[in-house]
Amino acid sequence: MSAVMTHETSPGLWALAWRRLRRDRVGMVSLVVVCAYLVVVAAAALGWIAADWPREVGVNYAPPGFAGADAPPPQGSLTPLPTAAAADEPGIVDPLADVLAELRKGLAAAPDAQARAATLPLGGDKWGRDVLKKVVKGTETSLVVGMVAALLAVLIGTVLGAYAGYYGGRMDDFLNWIYSVFTSIPYLLLVLAIAAVLNQKGTLTVILILGLTGWTGIFRLVRAEYLKHRTREYVLAADAIGTSNAQRMFAHIFPNVSHVVLVQLSLHVVLFIKSEVILSFLGFGVGVETVSWGSMLNESQSELILGKWWQLAAATTAMAVLVTAFSLFTDALRDVLDPRLK
Amino acid sequence: MTAYMIRRLLQFVPTLLGVVLLVFMLFNWIGGDPAYLLAGKMSNPEQIENIRRQLGVDQPYYVQLWIFITQVVTGDFGVSWATNEKVSTIFATRLGPSLTVLLPMLIVGTLLSMVMALLVAYRRGSLTDRAIMIGCTVGQSISILVYIIVFQYVFAFQLGWFPVQGWGQDFVTNLIKFSALPVLVGVAVSLAPDTRLYRTFFLDEINQDYVRTARAKGMSESRVMGVHVLRNAAIPIVTHVMIQLPALLAGAFLIERFFSIPGIGREVLLAVERSDFPVIKAVTVYVALATLIFNLLADILYKAVDPRVQLK
Amino acid sequence: MTLVRVFTAILLAATLAACGERASPPVVSDGADSKAGKVLRLTFQVAETGFDPVKVSDYYSGLVISAIFDSLLTYDYLARPAKLKPNIATALPRITDDGKTYTLTLQQGVYFTPDPAFKGLPHNRRELIAADYVYSIKRFLDPKNRSPYAFLFEGKIVGLDKLAEAAKKSGRFDYDAVVAGLEAPDRYTLRIRLTEADFNFSHVLAFSLVGAVAREAIEAYGDDTNAHPVGTGPYRLQRYMPSSKIVLEKNPGVRDMFWHAEPGDNAADLQIATRMEGKKLPQIDRVEISVMDEAQSRWLAFQRRETDIEYQLEELAPKFMTMDGKLKPEYAGQGIRMERSVDAEIIYLFFNTQEKIGDKPNPLGGFTPEKIALRRAVAMAYNIEDQIKIIRKGQAIRAYYPIPPGVAGHEPQYRNSIAYDPRLANALLDKFGYRRSADGYRQQPDGKYLILKYYSSPSERDRQFDELMKRSLDAIGVRVEIHKDRFAELIKLANQCRLMMKHATWIADYPDGDNFMQLLYGPNTGQTNSACYRSSAFDARYEKSRRMPDSAQRNQLYREMTRQMEVDTAWLLTDSRYRNVLLQPYVIGYKKSAVNAAEWMYMDIGAKEPR
Repeated sequence: MSAVMTHETSPGLWALAWRRLRRDRVGMVSLVVVCAYLVVVAAAALGWIAADWPREVGVNYAPPGFAGADAPPPQGSLTPLPTAAAADEPGIVDPLADVLAELRKGLAAAPDAQARAATLPLGGDKWGRDVLKKVVKGTETSLVVGMVAALLAVLIGTVLGAYAGYYGGRMDDFLNWIYSVFTSIPYLLLVLAIAAVLNQKGTLTVILILGLTGWTGIFRLVRAEYLKHRTREYVLAADAIGTSNAQRMFAHIFPNVSHVVLVQLSLHVVLFIKSEVILSFLGFGVGVETVSWGSMLNESQSELILGKWWQLAAATTAMAVLVTAFSLFTDALRDVLDPRLK
Repeated sequence: MTAYMIRRLLQFVPTLLGVVLLVFMLFNWIGGDPAYLLAGKMSNPEQIENIRRQLGVDQPYYVQLWIFITQVVTGDFGVSWATNEKVSTIFATRLGPSLTVLLPMLIVGTLLSMVMALLVAYRRGSLTDRAIMIGCTVGQSISILVYIIVFQYVFAFQLGWFPVQGWGQDFVTNLIKFSALPVLVGVAVSLAPDTRLYRTFFLDEINQDYVRTARAKGMSESRVMGVHVLRNAAIPIVTHVMIQLPALLAGAFLIERFFSIPGIGREVLLAVERSDFPVIKAVTVYVALATLIFNLLADILYKAVDPRVQLK
Repeated sequence: MTLVRVFTAILLAATLAACGERASPPVVSDGADSKAGKVLRLTFQVAETGFDPVKVSDYYSGLVISAIFDSLLTYDYLARPAKLKPNIATALPRITDDGKTYTLTLQQGVYFTPDPAFKGLPHNRRELIAADYVYSIKRFLDPKNRSPYAFLFEGKIVGLDKLAEAAKKSGRFDYDAVVAGLEAPDRYTLRIRLTEADFNFSHVLAFSLVGAVAREAIEAYGDDTNAHPVGTGPYRLQRYMPSSKIVLEKNPGVRDMFWHAEPGDNAADLQIATRMEGKKLPQIDRVEISVMDEAQSRWLAFQRRETDIEYQLEELAPKFMTMDGKLKPEYAGQGIRMERSVDAEIIYLFFNTQEKIGDKPNPLGGFTPEKIALRRAVAMAYNIEDQIKIIRKGQAIRAYYPIPPGVAGHEPQYRNSIAYDPRLANALLDKFGYRRSADGYRQQPDGKYLILKYYSSPSERDRQFDELMKRSLDAIGVRVEIHKDRFAELIKLANQCRLMMKHATWIADYPDGDNFMQLLYGPNTGQTNSACYRSSAFDARYEKSRRMPDSAQRNQLYREMTRQMEVDTAWLLTDSRYRNVLLQPYVIGYKKSAVNAAEWMYMDIGAKEPR
């Protein structure tokens, strides 16, 4: 009986991680949920769903279907707009008077206003827009903002952290100084400053604000990792064979640090999705041409006092489910990538 | 130790300088012209010029910067451009309310989180552990804005258990009546993330050799957890709280705004809205200084307690 | 061991907090705190800025100032339209020299509240004299005070501007210098000489911020006058926590004042007059004001009888009002009353009518037919009904005329020539060559890209306006870009004529139409004329109207001016807001002031029944 030696390469970090993840039930469920959300994002971005979210299909503040329609219209009193025509004033001539008179004659009688739905699946907002569609579109905006901003923050933090940790000395001091200054300034002021510099408001501005203020935590961690690794043997070996600094930093050390970076990326996606809500509250959120969870929550503040709770509920639920799933997934990721924890 | 402290204190200077420069640049470049706000409904260019002169913003930049630096050194930032109240008075009077809400929030929140984290770490891997952790994650996934809105609506507005907002004159009323709901909201929001964090601290300790030794020596589990693990994990917990405090002071603007607490966070928000540079300057410098000091204290605490820690 | 340290730290911090609380500003007067007496509790929804009449311009500071200081004239509490009445003056001013000289005689025996600044005088009290008004008016033009209401006196008083100029050069205002236009020939006589005839100057003398201050007090308190007001009025400042709490108490040495007003035929007014006529003022001993930003909390405080009068709950109106504008039965049943009035304000959407903005051409400006057509189309497409129904929650009336109700010159029958008609707007744009491109949005007639810019602030309220603007313009295929900027920046840009479109609000400073018409006067471009509108037809009529008192002829001119503004479409008038004031059953004698002055000294508190 001879044992045949099979050439089995030992599994790499990632393969091992994936195997371990498969065994973590909670982790797998969260991954599935996150993927489901990403599918929704893709569909919304391509315009397959919720593309007509700004259409006012319902009455103002239409309640959700399961709650039943409102009896009287929910607004306060409205003074009827008088129909008396304007009198002429002596000496004042309207250059457009003739044109308007002519056009009025040409216009047919006004068509009946389209009937608007009394209820909508998840309710309607103050203009009668479908909350379900808004939540879907909001998912796209919020997730895209969160992910792109997280990528940006990770990019900045990793590059700066790598330089600081690897080179040490003056470079480290300088970057540490920048880090101290950034972390000492109150968040509100930093946000305001960046928002004011980027004159145009909108989704891009939100991404930049989040990315440019959120890199500091990553910087610190990556720097610590690079400090640890640069004295290791494999780095000295790489030096001996004549690699450049850049190669050493990013081709050799980075793969060993990447698991930390990945976890940070995941954490920051969650953090930025939540920060976007605060930014909307401060008035630095996305513009009116789109909708995000933050803008929906902001709107719902004044609606709640009037008893209109559905926009708040919808946005909070959508966000809570995603953030929970993403956080649990991040935990699982951290567990499977950490060689220490059993 | 002394040499280390002196070195760190000296390092404050370049950092503060950096902060001063950054704030100065930012405000002058994009801070908004307060003259227009102060000028009222009808203002002509002359009046605007006059206001700018009175505020001192018509002077060349290096003069203004020098004035700013002297202000930082003397600690006197002048008066608010909007109300003429002395900035130092603003701070003295707003600090109290901020702390009256923040400190109970931190104490209650930390204690509660510690207990939960200890419990969860003790029963690590069990169903209780997973259930509570998932519960924490869900709790953490709801925006603080939602907590504030809903808590205020349900507990104050509908049930009437707390005042919806406001602030009184004496300390005891403020502590018991007006701080109660803000503290409740703050604790609810921070409970989840803190529990998760402290759980990892506790777990780190539990995995240490000394715990295994203590168990081997026959020490009861409750004594192991309640005395040894707790004591050692208390350090990172306390430092975590300490480091958060300065940021919380300025960052509590949401809670202060909704509950009308005349604290520093609300003042910062007001100052930013009104382009009130003296107040913004003072807040930034104080918060920066506080952050540096508390970070230093945290490092020293670490060193004092754990001789293995090498201070760079 | 560590726990002990933690504990000590906590204890230290708690002590700090307690100390911080006591470090609040000291009590202003030594009066004993709360004893029995009538107390009125109310809220401000925005923080005040201070109580020095020349240093503030906000509504809430103005209310308190009107209770602490006395102006020479005032308005009858009940008569509408507002009617001038003497206050400190013994009678309405004697106007001579064709409207250029105003002479007034002051009452005698009116004293400032006792203050250490008056040391040396018996009981630290000082009598009010005409020279005090001379000093108070001079302060408006002192460059150091940078008063937002300097415009009330700028260029109007003989010799005063010269003094202001000299102050700018020397850095110090010479209060001792004699001003030809401000004379106090004897202790109780004041003579004001104007540079040109002005029939509205009495309104300036009745303005709440033109109250008498004492020179000794101002000089004693230096930079701190905002927190230490010393006046002759019915109330004085007893306790002050800035942006948080203001407590006023009855001025013990106040002159004798008795309630008297002209109710006319109005039933509600007659009721007030019957209950209050002849009473000694002020009946209310203490006024306690809390600053509360959130409407929700103010509503709850009122419901719990923690406040007695609630001035403004705009967003919450549907909670206590029925659809036809009445108080809901469950509240009326408790005896709560609601007083509804329209504020003396107009809110309008202005269009920059200049040909260029900065150095770029302005697609919305100019007076050629096609440019006017674009503005007219936007005006016809903007959905004012939705603004009132949804953003204001029904708590506003449509504004058709630049002069709101309650102000001299208002025309309730006037009808705007611009009607809401998006279909007509579309037809108009088609006719003038604003063709639609591939994406559905219109281009300019010459084929250039068309985009309009609408400016607003980052608040949640303004976001609703943004949405409404976008919806309205999408209905006519016009592309719009929303620009966000903070309030101060927006004012600056407006003054530089760099804003293309924006909503603006103007609240009456005094109850005369001229205060509103000047918003469209060409030479006011760069100040209050945000549309940067220059029309010779308008300006000629405006200048003529300035030389007339309130009359049928002036009203005719105003109608023509309004129509001119409409055909040029410089503005779209949108609305004026309702003010629904809620009163507890025991609050007596409230009527919304015609100008922005406090009503507290004219009110009373009845017996409070148990709930």
